[in-house]
Amino acid sequence: MSDFSEDLLRPAPEDDPAETSVRPRSGMRLPWLQKQVESVATRGKKEKDFAQTTSACLSFIQEALLKHQWQRAAEYMHSYLQILEDSDSNKRQAAPEIIWKLGSEILYYHPKSSVETFNTFHSVLCYEDDYAYSTASQNMFKHSWKTSVNFSALVQTPGVWDPFVKSYVEMLEFYGDQDGAREVLTNYAYDGELNREPHELYLKSKLTFEKCLLNVQISQDYFFFQILYQIVPSHTLMLEFHRLLRKSDKEEHHKLGLEVLFGVLDFAGCTKNLTAWQYLAKYLRQILMGSHLAWVQDEWNSRKNWWPGFHFSSFWAKSDWKEDKALAYEKAFVAGILLGKGCRYFRYISKQDHQDLRKKFKRMKKLVKKHSIVNPGP
Amino acid sequence: MDFPSCLRPTLFMTGPLGLSDVPDTSFMCSWRDALTLPESLPQSSKNGVPHLAKGLLWEPDTPGPLPLLPPGPDPWDPGLTAQDLLFRGAPKFRRQPQAVLDVTEQFSRFLWDHGDIAFASLGKLMLENFKLEGARSYSKKKTVVSVKRILEDLGGHQPWGQVASEKGWGGCPWAYFSHRQRRFSILGDPILGKSVSNLLGELLYEELAMRWEQLLLDDAFTGGALAWLPGRTSRIRQLVYPAGGALDKLSLLAVRSDYHCALWKVSRQGRPAPLQVLKVEKGATGINLSPHLPGELVVCSRSGAVCLWTPHDGLQQIYKDPETLVFRDPSPWRWADFTAHPRVLTVGDRTGVKIIDTQGPPGCGLLLFRVGAEASCQKGERVLLTQYLGECGPDSLQPTLHLICTQFSLYLMDERLPLVPVLKWDHSLPSAPLLAQLLPPPRPGCARPLLLGGQGGQLQLLHITGEGASTPRLAGPPQSLPSRSDSLSAFPLLEPRSQWQLQERLQAPTIGLAATILSSSSTPVLSLFQLSAAGDVFHQRLHLREDPRPPSDPGPDCHAPTASWSPQATACCRRWLKALLEVPPAPPVWAAPTFSHRRLLSFKEQQKVEGKVPEGLRAAMAQGRLLQQRDLGLLPTAEPPPGPEPGPKDELSERLDAAWEGPMAAWWEQQQDRTSGPGRQPKRHKRRMQLSNTFSSLSGHLDLSGATSPPHSPDWTSPVSRPRSPVTLPSQELTQDLWAQGIPSERQQTLRDYMAKLPLQGNTPESASASLSQTSSTRATPSRQRTLRDGTAELPPHRDTPEGATAPSSQTSSIWATPSRQLVHVLSGSQPHRKKPRMGF
Repeated sequence: MSDFSEDLLRPAPEDDPAETSVRPRSGMRLPWLQKQVESVATRGKKEKDFAQTTSACLSFIQEALLKHQWQRAAEYMHSYLQILEDSDSNKRQAAPEIIWKLGSEILYYHPKSSVETFNTFHSVLCYEDDYAYSTASQNMFKHSWKTSVNFSALVQTPGVWDPFVKSYVEMLEFYGDQDGAREVLTNYAYDGELNREPHELYLKSKLTFEKCLLNVQISQDYFFFQILYQIVPSHTLMLEFHRLLRKSDKEEHHKLGLEVLFGVLDFAGCTKNLTAWQYLAKYLRQILMGSHLAWVQDEWNSRKNWWPGFHFSSFWAKSDWKEDKALAYEKAFVAGILLGKGCRYFRYISKQDHQDLRKKFKRMKKLVKKHSIVNPGP
Repeated sequence: MDFPSCLRPTLFMTGPLGLSDVPDTSFMCSWRDALTLPESLPQSSKNGVPHLAKGLLWEPDTPGPLPLLPPGPDPWDPGLTAQDLLFRGAPKFRRQPQAVLDVTEQFSRFLWDHGDIAFASLGKLMLENFKLEGARSYSKKKTVVSVKRILEDLGGHQPWGQVASEKGWGGCPWAYFSHRQRRFSILGDPILGKSVSNLLGELLYEELAMRWEQLLLDDAFTGGALAWLPGRTSRIRQLVYPAGGALDKLSLLAVRSDYHCALWKVSRQGRPAPLQVLKVEKGATGINLSPHLPGELVVCSRSGAVCLWTPHDGLQQIYKDPETLVFRDPSPWRWADFTAHPRVLTVGDRTGVKIIDTQGPPGCGLLLFRVGAEASCQKGERVLLTQYLGECGPDSLQPTLHLICTQFSLYLMDERLPLVPVLKWDHSLPSAPLLAQLLPPPRPGCARPLLLGGQGGQLQLLHITGEGASTPRLAGPPQSLPSRSDSLSAFPLLEPRSQWQLQERLQAPTIGLAATILSSSSTPVLSLFQLSAAGDVFHQRLHLREDPRPPSDPGPDCHAPTASWSPQATACCRRWLKALLEVPPAPPVWAAPTFSHRRLLSFKEQQKVEGKVPEGLRAAMAQGRLLQQRDLGLLPTAEPPPGPEPGPKDELSERLDAAWEGPMAAWWEQQQDRTSGPGRQPKRHKRRMQLSNTFSSLSGHLDLSGATSPPHSPDWTSPVSRPRSPVTLPSQELTQDLWAQGIPSERQQTLRDYMAKLPLQGNTPESASASLSQTSSTRATPSRQRTLRDGTAELPPHRDTPEGATAPSSQTSSIWATPSRQLVHVLSGSQPHRKKPRMGF
């Protein structure tokens, strides 16, 4: 024995039988530790028969649930209710929560259950004297329950309250309180430590309700988009942002517009976004015609070592041509501009013969020859 | 990429872990989605697919998985168990069962087993106090002791005899102290008593604690080690599925062992071939292949460094932090994976997962997951596995999802919405969930199965849905799949020793998982492969049953139908079992050192002993073999095969009869076939009978494994002692190399540490530690089977060859060299007995 004396001195932990020197030093708790220890430890008081039975019963319920044997689980659950009589007050207090959790799970899936059974189960359980949630869930339950009555109070609590905010805004809009709705959204967007999804909600709601996004004063919207761009550059709204920037009169906005497009196409989920490629092809042409080669090179320098493999491999050329010819066309144009006409993607696509696209291809080749950043035209 | 339109309400808590041990229940209930997300229902019905299908169930074709490949030719040692490491008793006044690491026991065993090593350096230090040759000491100094005399004084004392006695360390009945011994004792006591134990005790404790933690959680196999490659199965480290842009002409495979990483090229026809191998000094803990760029990998090591690696450009360190992310945790385990952005990676440790931009300034990043209040983690919760689930395409989840498993729960994180999980579920697995695989939907529009495997062999299958703008959630209740130990019922009943061997084999930890869905047939079939630590690959097929009945109409029977074993399945198991039992048991990792008995023998020779029994004993001793019944001249009694005795018919006898007609009869028939089957077997049987015609029916049963294996030794001895021929080299002849090979590898680390600290002179420590480190480093690679095989090939010839048998040995030593487990079974003949604590830790 390694720390026999230490064990003697230390008061025995009452709640955790595995709380010994065999616990991992890292402080990690392992649910399977106790089983290992029990397979060896022979002396010391064992669990009472009652505790053994109830814990066995609990594992039977869990097993039945995982095997989708709802009837069997329900039968075991019936026996498990006796844990409410446990003389161990800790267990007795934790029991209603477990019963509630497992019981509602069983009732949810049991083919013979109904709303009535569910309600009965709930009221029976609420009747129990010891009915108590753990502190954490209790707080949460209280919070959401109490505050759901009052949306505005809830929204000020740190957390994710999207459905409530949405409903609240809808309600305010319904009563014509546009300013109130806007205030709620703004507060939600900037309050609390999570300001990602509120942004999203705010912007989306604005798009939905005002429907005039592109006409409103750019300074305010630009601010929201700018933040959204910082945190979620792959967002679908980034294409809107690009359009907004494209229409601006400021040159820095035009540069940012290019940056936003490249940013969107960096993401795996956006590689087949036709609109994004269309925008990029069009915008590249526009920018290069406006002799802002440096902007393009700025963006391209950080990507030139991985975009070719990521977007413009011959694998993608074949697969894109097969799946979406319009996409392949746009990508081929961008590839030609960025990598020159010698690049695999461009070569593969431009060799394809397709009646509808013949004219387009001719134009593409001409434009690439003229604008490609690899061989800048005269 | 659509952004989740609406997140589920969550109270946002910041800070450290919750103070309570009770898990947060708000994530647990399936109906939560239905209650809190009213908009999710119309969305799913728009697609015409009932996402909350209640009866999405995979039905196994057989009650358990079947062996796919025959067992490997090498024996498998299940390794350490809690019984080997923990102290069995505890103070009686304890309210709860108590367990502590058993250092004392291991320490004393260490001193007995490796006394030559433990005391070698002291011997050298005390060299001037010993006289190795010559009858008398010329020196008048009282501090010089003659070794020969001391050994003579010690003659006849078999110290290990005391180990066996249950009485403990009571003392030898013949013990008396000569002056020489006394002087030696006085001389040696201060050094022998303290220095060895001080030096070794610390190392031993450390080693024990490490072994114990490894037994509770062995993170070497995180991520799994099984790859399912198109067209064939393969047992290769580190499961990686190249996807998306990386699915070019060639597939690539990332392979990790403890100290090496490799990139393999995989083609449909040829065998996988390594492209490049990387040595990781500090030990590699994770490797992942980019799903975006062909041939790009991320590797992380125990030092906290994360590197991008391409065969073309080599290594590029992108992150280094020896500290853990959120709070201090001693585990050096690190993990790294890719994200939806090819230049952005995740870096994980036990305390959290961080997103880092490889193009940004070094060290900056954003926490994706924190073991803390945000995710409602429990006290003591730690990250065990993180995995990027991204994959784009129709019918797929968002390519921004990451799976994070802890010992309690499973979390799905969206990299765009850090810290707050989009889905949490308590898996309640009774072992560490180190394996996970997200599978493609079995049918278009169906939820995607997520397979979760515990190290103990348990498997769970969840269905995750959430395309487009809806947040991912569980579709239907999770399901547990049969584990390898569920296959036990497919095997014929065996006698206890073999039964235990089989059971142990089936319960071996799962170290690899691979699954594929074959949707070509009318019902999608899930094909599941598992790799166990014993090197077995098991296979199971499950087919999808979508419950056709509406929720309002309860079926006549709500029990899930149970599968049964087909004759083909049991035949397959039988074949596998046969091959398994033919594998010779593992050679003894250690044998007790012996003292020469020649002197004792010659002494006995002088006293003319009469009688058959002493003569037989003497002959056996002289030949150094096991004493057998025939040596004592006792003839075997012919035992009739056990069968039902005709007796008064009562209910019990009838039931016994019925039971006898079942598997027992089959078993007996099988035994009969083995011993008197056609072909080559009867001849060998006969020959053996000539050699030793003293087999009782009991030992005949026990010889099951040896029936078709080649003879190991020209001199057939009892089948009990044969499989493990004793290592009988006298201890003083054991060279450093020999002991290095004879020592259980798990003990080699301690030995090495110990040797490194010892003040040994000359070149012995170097050579010893060199051979050790080589062995242990290869041994330490997760490719256990291969290494074991290599290891056996390198073994010195004294294992199975006649040399071992002819080397001087005594009855005692050969009995001792026969592992106690086997002896116990021979003697008791029943009851699957947990092996005794091995002489090691």
